[in-house]
Amino acid sequence: MNRKLGLLQGTLDLLILRTLLGGATHGHAIAKHIQRTSEELLQVETGSLYPALHRLEAKGWIEATWELSDKGKRARYYKLTRQGRRQLLNERSKWDAFRRAMGLVLAADEPS
Amino acid sequence: MTSHFRKLRWLFVRRRRAAELEKELQFHLEEEAQEHGYDAARRQLGNIGLIQEDTRAMWGWVWVEQLFQDLRYAARTMLKNPAFTALAALSLALGIGANAAIYSFMDAVMMRWLPVRDPGSLALLQWHTKHGLDDSVVQTASGHFDDDSKLGRVGGIFPYPAFEELRKSTDVFSTLFAYHPARNLTVMVGGGAQVANGEYVSGDFFRGLGVVPEAGRLLGADDDHIGTGVLALSYGFAQRHFGDAARAAGQKIFLNNVPFTVTGVTPPGFYGVDLGSAPEFYLPLHADVALNPAREGKSSQTSYLDQHYYWIEIMGRLRPGITLQQAQIQIGPVFQNWVASTAENNAQRANLPQFLLSEGARGVDRLRRNFEEPLVILMAMVALILGIACANIANLLLARAAARRGEMAVRLSIGAGRWRVIRQLLTESVLLASIGACGDVLVAYWSVPVLRAMLTGGSNFVLRAELNGHVLAATAALTTVTGIFFGLAPALQSTRVDTVSALKQWRTAEPRRRLPVSLSQLLIVTQIAISLVLIAVAGLFVRTLSNLQSLDVGFTREKVLLFQLNAKQAGHQSGELLSFYRGLEQRFSTIPGVISVAEANSPLIGDGAWGWAVVPVGKPKPERAPSGHGTFGGWENTHTLQTDAHFLSTMKIPLIAGRAFDERDRAGSAPVAIVNESWVKANLGGRNAVGERVVSFGLDDKPIQMDVIGVARNALYNRIEKNFPATVYLPLDQNLGAPVEEMTFFLRTTSDPLKYAGAVRDIVRKTDARIPATHLGTQEQRIQTEIGDQILFARLSTGFALLALSIASVGLYGTMSYVVARRTGEIGIRMALGAARGRVLLMILRQVAILAAVGLAIGLPLTFGASRLLESLLYGLKAGDPTTIAIAVVTILIAVIAAGYVPARRASQIDPMIALRHE
Repeated sequence: MNRKLGLLQGTLDLLILRTLLGGATHGHAIAKHIQRTSEELLQVETGSLYPALHRLEAKGWIEATWELSDKGKRARYYKLTRQGRRQLLNERSKWDAFRRAMGLVLAADEPS
Repeated sequence: MTSHFRKLRWLFVRRRRAAELEKELQFHLEEEAQEHGYDAARRQLGNIGLIQEDTRAMWGWVWVEQLFQDLRYAARTMLKNPAFTALAALSLALGIGANAAIYSFMDAVMMRWLPVRDPGSLALLQWHTKHGLDDSVVQTASGHFDDDSKLGRVGGIFPYPAFEELRKSTDVFSTLFAYHPARNLTVMVGGGAQVANGEYVSGDFFRGLGVVPEAGRLLGADDDHIGTGVLALSYGFAQRHFGDAARAAGQKIFLNNVPFTVTGVTPPGFYGVDLGSAPEFYLPLHADVALNPAREGKSSQTSYLDQHYYWIEIMGRLRPGITLQQAQIQIGPVFQNWVASTAENNAQRANLPQFLLSEGARGVDRLRRNFEEPLVILMAMVALILGIACANIANLLLARAAARRGEMAVRLSIGAGRWRVIRQLLTESVLLASIGACGDVLVAYWSVPVLRAMLTGGSNFVLRAELNGHVLAATAALTTVTGIFFGLAPALQSTRVDTVSALKQWRTAEPRRRLPVSLSQLLIVTQIAISLVLIAVAGLFVRTLSNLQSLDVGFTREKVLLFQLNAKQAGHQSGELLSFYRGLEQRFSTIPGVISVAEANSPLIGDGAWGWAVVPVGKPKPERAPSGHGTFGGWENTHTLQTDAHFLSTMKIPLIAGRAFDERDRAGSAPVAIVNESWVKANLGGRNAVGERVVSFGLDDKPIQMDVIGVARNALYNRIEKNFPATVYLPLDQNLGAPVEEMTFFLRTTSDPLKYAGAVRDIVRKTDARIPATHLGTQEQRIQTEIGDQILFARLSTGFALLALSIASVGLYGTMSYVVARRTGEIGIRMALGAARGRVLLMILRQVAILAAVGLAIGLPLTFGASRLLESLLYGLKAGDPTTIAIAVVTILIAVIAAGYVPARRASQIDPMIALRHE
């Protein structure tokens, strides 16, 4: 279980932070959002989601409060903190650099 | 960094967060269920418990949560098995607690430093000689010698001129001070009189030790001169007699009728330099000239000039920067040169005492030597008990772990890591050990005063020992370590479970053993072996004690009241002492119930003996005859006792020839003596002694001729031992022996002697209120005190042996019960196939017997070894005494079979139908 989280850890964090940029929401909605926006390609397992959310909360990048959902039920809403915003930019630029690097290496191999 | 703080904060609200997490996941489940239906939602969620655990792992501090989990579980489990918990905790408490108490004593006796300034720079001066003291510059002495295997005879006493010589070495010592015990002085304060001990100290004593007075001032160099009239009091004495230390300064008290003014009081907790003595007062060294004007015939002023009279003890404070070795190198030659100059002939020159400097931080060594051996033996015994107790706990834990195999299998199979399970088991055993630790603090606290009473009961030593903090900390640590150590093996073994068969609860499923013998069997065998050793040792001590107590002492010890009076110290003149004591004797004989009264110048047992050379006329005086008062080795050395006419009849020492003293033997009439059988054997080779003429050399070496008028049956004098010392009895009235000061009275009574103590004290007080009756007790008590060590060992070792045997028996019972419980299925099958109940009983008992046999086989050589180590303490028995060991073996067998019988019987009563069906 822990090993699987390890591989996805950095990317899942980024996805969560980016999702929360759009506004505070609860865990289920975050998972749904990632699923829909990635055209059903990324399915976040609950077993990875909540540990990740709490980890980010521990690091101080997101904070949580109990609010009433749109259906009137109590839910735990997560929101980006200022530190989280900075971290999001950080991670985003690291991801871009990574993507570019991958692209360069993969492109170099293409037969003409 | 902030994430750590956040997690730390969350630690305190963990439970609330866990509840919230549950709600959070519940919400997630409901949202999902809205879309895809409940079942699909559940499947998608997966293992809720696992998600919660992983999420909680993000909060950090998981180990704390797990620790509390383990503790709660451990507490629940222990409460479900109160008997096991109580037994295990008790075993630990007794074993470690007793250890802690004894260790406190060892610390106090052997390691504690003097309560003075900078004890590390103090040095104790001694000398040693390998060749004994027969031809030596040490011609007369007052003090103790020790015998060391490497150094020979060691003495801590010096002549006064040596002290003055050594004092000149100011480059090595910043101060050098001397001291000497002041024993049995009659102290009069206010109206009351008592006998007390003090210390003579030189002028620099208090300055050298760096003692700050509690009140007034302490003695200084100016106070130490002949004719001095000042002293310092101990805190305890000042409080008892003046209420307040401050009020004591300036008061007047009388010692031996000589007036002294109190200059000040020492602080509480200060006890001089000898842990075993508690001086009530401190006198300047030269005060003894006034208090003991004559010592053994010579004016005591000459003691300060005599180069061959060794009596004062010396300690010094080294200058900063000087080590003990450097000091030894620099001072040694100073002493050697001085002592060489005092040698009178070549023999003495060849046998000079060698200077020895040792560290003085712990004060004088003597107490340590006296108590070291008993304490070490005690410690060994307690350590063995601890071993047995720990083995018991380990066995109990093992048995219980075996019984919980099913539970372990379930936990392992649903995914608990092996390590996690082991950790939980360890927590249980540590918790158990902690309960034991609290118990052992209590046991230690209570046993310290018990031990103190046992070790010093009856003797004059004041042993200062309390439970100290270091020991408590050490016991707590030891208990935890024990818990971990003995919980580990069972934990490891029980988690090596074959889960499938354990889950099926297969009747014979057991962890696969690498050795043919299980750990549990090994532990039991060890316990039996150790119990054998302890029981055999106890048997040896008990028989030694009974041998000593039934020893023929030569006189009738029952119903005799003893006490001592010192009229000289109260002010009576030497000339009138004898008639004064005679008058008292007559008054004592009028007490109703007193059959007869006798006097002598020394008690028979427990206070050393007088002695000097007494030889038949014509024979030469033996060169090495000891003379004086003390402890003489060897029964052939003549001991002397000056008695009145009633002595032999009062103590019921029969005369085998001649007559006792009577009115004919007065001052001025022909000198007479009565000898005993040992003396006759040593000096006359069995010839008839009555009518022989002998020469008594006395303390001053002046020969006096005497006639032997009688031969007495042998009686002990000084020590309780097998050999009767050669004794010569002299009549008090003729006053031809040691000058009489203190008199011992012997009252033979019709009933319990102590009932007459009050009457005796009344008579003494009415006659002269300045004289206290000291050492009042019965003759039997005096003898018991002499063999106090043996009594102690016998009692303690018996107690320990019984304790060990009980613990081992209970352990055996518990283990066999579990064995039977585990084999219930197998036994059921056997019975169903036709095995008789008797056979089942025997089958279990046979297992028990094999364990016992192996245990005894291991224990026997250990027992022989132990008894050889203790041989010096035995009396009337040899090491490896077969009777004692045989009795020990039989005792163990009986206990073991008794312990195994109940489970065996339970096995034979198994109903095969129930056994086969039941799990």
